[in-house]
Amino acid sequence: MRYVIIGNSAAGIKAAETLRKLDRGGLITIISDEPGPAYSRCLLPAFLAGMRNEDELRIRPENFYQRNLVDTVFGKKAVKVETGRKQVVLADDSRVEYDKLLIATGSSTAFPPVEGLAGPGVLGLRNLADAREILEYRRKARRVVVIGAGFIGMEAAYALYRRGLEVTVVEKMPHILPLQLDRPAAEIIQRDMQAEGVRFILGAGVREVAGPSLWTRLFGKTGRGVILDNGDRLKAEIVIVATGIKPNVDLVRDTEIKLNWGIVVDQYMQTAVPDVYAAGDVAETEDIITGIVCVSPIWPNAVTQGAIAACNMAGRPRLYTGLIGMQNAVEFRDVPAIAMGITQPPDGSYEVLALHRPERNLYRKLVLKDDVIVGMILVGDIGQAGVIAALMRKKANARKFKERILKGEFHHGYLQRAVS
Amino acid sequence: MKEIMVHLDRCNGCLTCSLACAAAHSSSGTIVGAMLEGIPGRIFVQAAGSRPVPILCRHCEDAPCVDACMTGAMQKDPGTGLVSNEGREQTCVGCWMCIMACPYGAIIQKPGEKKLALKCDGCPGREIPACVAACPNNALVYEEADAFSEERRRKAASTLV
Ligand SMILES: Cc1cc2nc3c(=O)[nH]c(=O)nc-3n(C[C@H](O)[C@H](O)[C@H](O)COP(=O)(O)OP(=O)(O)OC[C@H]3O[C@@H](n4cnc5c(N)ncnc54)[C@H](O)[C@@H]3O)c2cc1C
Repeated sequence: MRYVIIGNSAAGIKAAETLRKLDRGGLITIISDEPGPAYSRCLLPAFLAGMRNEDELRIRPENFYQRNLVDTVFGKKAVKVETGRKQVVLADDSRVEYDKLLIATGSSTAFPPVEGLAGPGVLGLRNLADAREILEYRRKARRVVVIGAGFIGMEAAYALYRRGLEVTVVEKMPHILPLQLDRPAAEIIQRDMQAEGVRFILGAGVREVAGPSLWTRLFGKTGRGVILDNGDRLKAEIVIVATGIKPNVDLVRDTEIKLNWGIVVDQYMQTAVPDVYAAGDVAETEDIITGIVCVSPIWPNAVTQGAIAACNMAGRPRLYTGLIGMQNAVEFRDVPAIAMGITQPPDGSYEVLALHRPERNLYRKLVLKDDVIVGMILVGDIGQAGVIAALMRKKANARKFKERILKGEFHHGYLQRAVS
Repeated sequence: MKEIMVHLDRCNGCLTCSLACAAAHSSSGTIVGAMLEGIPGRIFVQAAGSRPVPILCRHCEDAPCVDACMTGAMQKDPGTGLVSNEGREQTCVGCWMCIMACPYGAIIQKPGEKKLALKCDGCPGREIPACVAACPNNALVYEEADAFSEERRRKAASTLV
């Protein structure tokens, strides 16, 4: 059996590992357009901050590929999947044949349609090459503007702040981490970072990123101006664009593989074309909480999906039972926070329980529907987050526990005592 | 493979397991030393209602903390079956994603400056884990896991009143 995996990251590595466990003799090939061994892009902020070097970003020992007998085709982009011939076409026109294919191409930075984003010093943060380039610019930089206070924007901001740069974060929405947190939670985190010296401009869009004027260029300056909706101008030598991501699906456009925004898969992580699977950021799956089918671009889900796809590729049917699409853990400075599921209910049909102690950097919020927890935010005290998450995944009736959970007094012991 | 089984009916909440765990993970090897060093136990005795329940890592087969780990530090050792984020080339950064993933609440933030997730490492090098060896009530026993215990464990993870 020839297994081919496109994408050498969270989903791809877990899939290769799982395939090797289930099929000792199968041929496994990983294709990646990045040149080196798999690393964690979640650690790129730590790399930017100077807390980890490149070697410390690797997610597996160096001999991983040899030990698992995985062939590697690195530094080559897959440009097309020919599902009829069962071949992957690479950028240099070479071809790789497969019996079973996994598309684990992840996502990349989506640059919004704002003028001036193509210029030098304007960068996304998605891969090691981006991070290296940012550090290159850092040598001559004093000021950074981060566009977008989502997860990646905030990580980038804090990392560069730790490097001693002056950082301003611009966010269109009224609070930071708008997809993850509600306002009270966001304000605790923001205050904590503001106290450190990171500056925030909220409720403001970016109209344009202007290059250095002729005059400043004459003096050898490379700084750029970030012009906001209201005309205000922020000067910066580095602009980080973190307003969103898009799944890497170009290689399967114009094939039978069904695309929505990401790649549509069934409950076995198989695409519309037999023997072609997709997993990770690029795949669209059903969110167990919301029932909505969409991408769930977080590391744990990529890994789990990679494992499930691999089981099915190896002929061991395993159903994807659904994961929670939004689950994030953050700790920029000193205040940890975990958010999961529906944290800002869209209408009044949800029950919301909240406990707010901003003076102690504490906040807990539970969102319930018919006594089933569908969302939570924990700020300050994140212990037991996984136990609550398990209740959410099981859609357990939490009527008897919800007050206790809100107060942070719940733990797995209650569940064990209930069945003993 | 042996694992730590809990007999809830025998636990009287004496906390000896937790103290012995802390001692085993301290440099002095003693309970007092562990307290002075600020080493926490990695098994937690919680009160459910008025009854004590020891909470500890189950070293799951398909461990969610392993999938959640973004550095590759958290791995299940194929030989011993132990799940740990220590003793590998890849190291923990304290991102807390494993805490978010563990359905038992068996992972905590290590107290102190350095961000690090802390969990049961199964006491590698000891014949019997320190908590089991110390339990005066036989509430913790180290035995071959059978189908029954597996079943009961899963039930505990999934059943709710
Ligand atoms: C800065 C940053 C911080 C993050 N922090 C967290 C976090 O704390 N927690 C969390 O849960 N998630 C985090 N994420 C998200 C997480 O990294 C992703 O969800 C995860 O990496 C997805 O894994 P994947 O295997 O699906 O794809 P990716 O990791 O995106 O990898 C896909 C790989 O495929 C390659 N590729 C793409 N197209 C082709 C092609 N045509 N041919 C060949 N190769 C190709 C890419 O170059 C890449 O190497 C973070 C992301 C970033 C950028």
